[in-house]
Amino acid sequence: MTGNRIQDRIAIAGVGSTGYTRDGNRTARSLAAEAAVSAIRDAGLDRADIGGVISSAGVGSWTIVPPGATEMVAMLRLPNVTYFGDGNPVIVSPLLDAMHAIYSGTCDTVLLYHYNYRTPFSSRRAADDPFRRHIRGYDNLPPENARNAAAYAAWASRYLHENSIDREHLGRVAVNSRTNARSNPLAAMRSPLTLDEYLAARLVREPLGMLDMDLPVDGAEAFILTTSEHARDLPHTPVLVHTAAEGLVDTASDEEQLASLAHHGQDIVVRQLRARSQRSLNDVDVAYVYDGFTFITLSWFEKLGWCAPGEAGPFLDHAWHDEQQRLLVDGRVPVNPQGGMLSEGGTQGAGFVRDAVHQLRGTAGDRQIDDPRTALLAIGGFFYNSQGAVLIRDDNR
Amino acid sequence: MTTPIPVWERYPAAPIDQDNVALYKGWLRHELTLPRCGNCGKWHAPSYPLCPFCWSFDLIPTPLSGRGTVHLSILLHQGPSAKGVSYPYPVVTVELAEQAGLRFTSTAVEGCGRLAIGTPVELAWLDRDGAPFPAFRPRDGATQ
Repeated sequence: MTGNRIQDRIAIAGVGSTGYTRDGNRTARSLAAEAAVSAIRDAGLDRADIGGVISSAGVGSWTIVPPGATEMVAMLRLPNVTYFGDGNPVIVSPLLDAMHAIYSGTCDTVLLYHYNYRTPFSSRRAADDPFRRHIRGYDNLPPENARNAAAYAAWASRYLHENSIDREHLGRVAVNSRTNARSNPLAAMRSPLTLDEYLAARLVREPLGMLDMDLPVDGAEAFILTTSEHARDLPHTPVLVHTAAEGLVDTASDEEQLASLAHHGQDIVVRQLRARSQRSLNDVDVAYVYDGFTFITLSWFEKLGWCAPGEAGPFLDHAWHDEQQRLLVDGRVPVNPQGGMLSEGGTQGAGFVRDAVHQLRGTAGDRQIDDPRTALLAIGGFFYNSQGAVLIRDDNR
Repeated sequence: MTTPIPVWERYPAAPIDQDNVALYKGWLRHELTLPRCGNCGKWHAPSYPLCPFCWSFDLIPTPLSGRGTVHLSILLHQGPSAKGVSYPYPVVTVELAEQAGLRFTSTAVEGCGRLAIGTPVELAWLDRDGAPFPAFRPRDGATQ
């Protein structure tokens, strides 16, 4: 049984971002603190207003190093914290945690933050950096496993085996993200990318190559969440969380044990979004469809119902706008307008949430989409990180 | 000309990063160095990337006198084995003279047993694997 009493009751009232880089020399603490301070100030609030602090630096956060929530409280000397915790690294999970804390009355206003920090395991440059020695590594030692990133290469092999997809379809996802990133100053990769260049890129975990995988980056996001009522007294047009959901099947993070691509976390998420939302695919003005690995985006299109199972290839062909070198679903809906995980940076969906807030409240600057009311966020892959959200502009202000 | 050994090689077990490296470089000079805010003038510890009091990122690593008074004091009767460590082993948190509430923790030397809270102390430098390591000792004339 699920319900959605919380629908439209919680708003995002502030955002702050450091932007992303592939050769940063700042600590994760520094990045997270900067984003947090920016978000609090963006919301027109001060330290005494923050009642909850939630990070995405919890269990399973393989890309994540300190600071957790208690360290953030200490760095900012927040005096009125009544709720704190470190959640799942993928953004909707801690977002839900924040929403629930506010809805239940445990606290009124939450600082939620997420950050990325290249570990010695994720980047050669980071491996050479002596300041990155004392951080946590993988649980399982490669190469003889199909876990974490390798699990997606492994399941990509199955997806390509079962469906009529070729590398050009995967390349459309990569080129779309890069095209969009070119106009986003926060993005780590802004040089042009053609389909031919995608096809020529070296393979890393075959069948996936260099440009099928999201970018290890340094950077941080922070968000201020509060009640919709409170948000209406703050400077920006509130962005309401219409619905948010996570999904997990019974094999959870035992990635090799997933029974079938026909039923995984994305299916559960979509079922939840449909059951708990008054808006449909036709209402979507902007879509954020996870591209941590290119084939994940194709799977999402099928699971969301934008096309039938196995039809993501023809769907991509149809949505491709050759002149603009990007995807426009139904000739109208941009996909990953900030550059996706592939080109803005691999932020486990946090960059999607920030960009959706900017688009919906009309603060996206040169990249502003015309009058969007509804953003669909389909985040994560198949296992512990399948998530989704519908964010909407508050028209009751 | 020889290349100086990097500070993270002198203290291979220390969690050194960009935010706190000045502390460890200071140790090599027998100085206790903490970030002081260029905006509000306050010190803080541990060495965060921003001033916890005014949220300014304009921090200036600044040596302290190393003088202070014992604020917390314990005597460990067992613990991890390490070079130069024998039990019972005193650990003190010292409130530094420069600012109320600014504290630094290490061991105490030249004391006997548990150092009394309120004891005036100053820095003493130990050798740990060839690198200076800060400790505290009672100031001249201080009773224990």
